[in-house]
Amino acid sequence: MKILPPTMRQRKRYLAFELISKERISRDELIRELFSSMGSLLGDVGSSECGLRLLTFEDSKGIIQCAHTRTEQTRASIATITDISGRKVVINVFGISGTVATATDKYLKGVKVFNLEEQSHIN
Amino acid sequence: MGKPKFYDLNVHSKPDGESTIEELTALAKHFGYSGLAITNHSNTGVPSMASRTEDFEIFSGIEIMATSPSKLHGLIGKYRKNVDVLIVHGGNENINRAAVESPNVDVLSHPQMGRNSGLNHILAKSASENNVAIEFNLDAIIKGRGGRRAQTLSNFRTNLNIARKYDVQVLLTSNASSYFDLRAPREMIALAGLFGMDKDEAVSALSLTAEGIIERKRSKLGFIREGVEVIREDVLKDVGDGL
Repeated sequence: MKILPPTMRQRKRYLAFELISKERISRDELIRELFSSMGSLLGDVGSSECGLRLLTFEDSKGIIQCAHTRTEQTRASIATITDISGRKVVINVFGISGTVATATDKYLKGVKVFNLEEQSHIN
Repeated sequence: MGKPKFYDLNVHSKPDGESTIEELTALAKHFGYSGLAITNHSNTGVPSMASRTEDFEIFSGIEIMATSPSKLHGLIGKYRKNVDVLIVHGGNENINRAAVESPNVDVLSHPQMGRNSGLNHILAKSASENNVAIEFNLDAIIKGRGGRRAQTLSNFRTNLNIARKYDVQVLLTSNASSYFDLRAPREMIALAGLFGMDKDEAVSALSLTAEGIIERKRSKLGFIREGVEVIREDVLKDVGDGL
């Protein structure tokens, strides 16, 4: 099928985030939790309006896509994630951009994910 | 006006919570906070000490648990001089009332009682007169699911309406008991949007209201009684030595 012309496509925003946890979390587990927490907070209707997608997730950081008018709701539902399969996590949004490229360049390049063990010896 | 400074004024550390003050501080700093208040419950030991580094402040605080208004007043008297932030653990009709009627209280925490939001026009007027801030503890939204969370959100919405009408200060906190419970300021603002708080209100609830509470305590340091306050401590000391 032919893809939609640019003016007809839905506008998007890209959230660059880090996932802070003591253990490794897989992409599939994160996706499941993202949709379940959003479904619980906003319901099926709200989730469909947000148009959430996990684009990349590597080394505990990644990019989430959402509808451009729903960034606050998306942020809120990400904030309600407390654990993934019994392992405690917290997700921190670095920033929001209009394209994947800027989100990656501006927020993810060279950024190290918060790690408590590394912090404690500095302090 | 530059970038606002954000504070989380209700955080529980070991032994009340699960994380140490160092762990909480490290993550809060990473999230971009300028300070935390460690407000352990009054039945879990002595309040922690305040400390200050170049870019981060830890305020000493207490969350008072009391079973009756008279006990509450006793505990307020006991802790007021030693802490920067004095929070009352609400959720009981008599305690809520006693808390908002006391000018020595900084924050009334989670006043809601099940289906009841815990606040009405009378309590709100007192809170406004006595400068007691009403807390919206976002952990109830973060951790709750389903019907309970729906109830919390409608309670928060009710309280926010009352607070706006009577010009009561509102405070956003994480009420964290582990560093995993902390959320970055922008996330807190997004969560506050769920119950109708707009962005400006939420920013000032995290920054200006919190700063106001801390400043108030600092200016009270020299406060002796209405109309009498210590302006220069060295003079007082000289007089004291002379006696």
